[in-house]
Amino acid sequence: MRYRAPPADALIAAHLDTLTAIFHRRSGITHLVTSPAPEILAALTHPLTQEELLARLARDYDLADPDGDALAARLDELVASGLVSIA
Amino acid sequence: MTDPITPATGPTTQASEVSASVDDGTTAVGVPTRRRLLQLGAIGAGAVVSIRPALAQTAGSVLNCDIPVPDMGHAGNFIGLDGTLVPAGTKGSFAPPGRPFKGEEVRRAMSGSRLPGTSYESNRAYMNYIRRLQRGQGGFTCFASLQMPR
Repeated sequence: MRYRAPPADALIAAHLDTLTAIFHRRSGITHLVTSPAPEILAALTHPLTQEELLARLARDYDLADPDGDALAARLDELVASGLVSIA
Repeated sequence: MTDPITPATGPTTQASEVSASVDDGTTAVGVPTRRRLLQLGAIGAGAVVSIRPALAQTAGSVLNCDIPVPDMGHAGNFIGLDGTLVPAGTKGSFAPPGRPFKGEEVRRAMSGSRLPGTSYESNRAYMNYIRRLQRGQGGFTCFASLQMPR
């Protein structure tokens, strides 16, 4: 199962200190997200499996908790919000 | 009569809870000393809060409005565990419920109880479908109206 974020032009993001406000044009919904959601969205410009995403994040960041279950929970939230779809 | 705003008496911990997830690891002149720290586990609540379009509705109409699963345009489809619509009979998917859910039933399910007549898994599938409703789909206005401040 692969996950993907919407194309960049489908979202408008505004960084608000520790929060990021993301307006999703298609749904008209604004999402307030906090780390690691923006980092996950940035990594999912191409469809990735959960394992590939974890490897990508581990490459780009020092992961405090390189935990597949925690990443799965964040992906579930993003899928439920409509910000991430299953490719 | 108006109530005065009571000042907080205890220490405020909210800011430190929120900012604990990121350490940008720079020196005073901004030179990175190490890569950014990223924490995947949620700190307290989840990482996403969605703000639905504000819609004026009375409490009564919100609780009685209907959310069909799936909407009329997709009648006959089954609901996958992740809330996507799949062809009828797809393995691991769920047949549509026999009737639309009421706003009040969905509101209760959002706070932890189950939609009526559902199992743990079919409840998850139906709720995932409902959470993904978008403008123009049947039930979107009803669901959006449930997103009121607590």
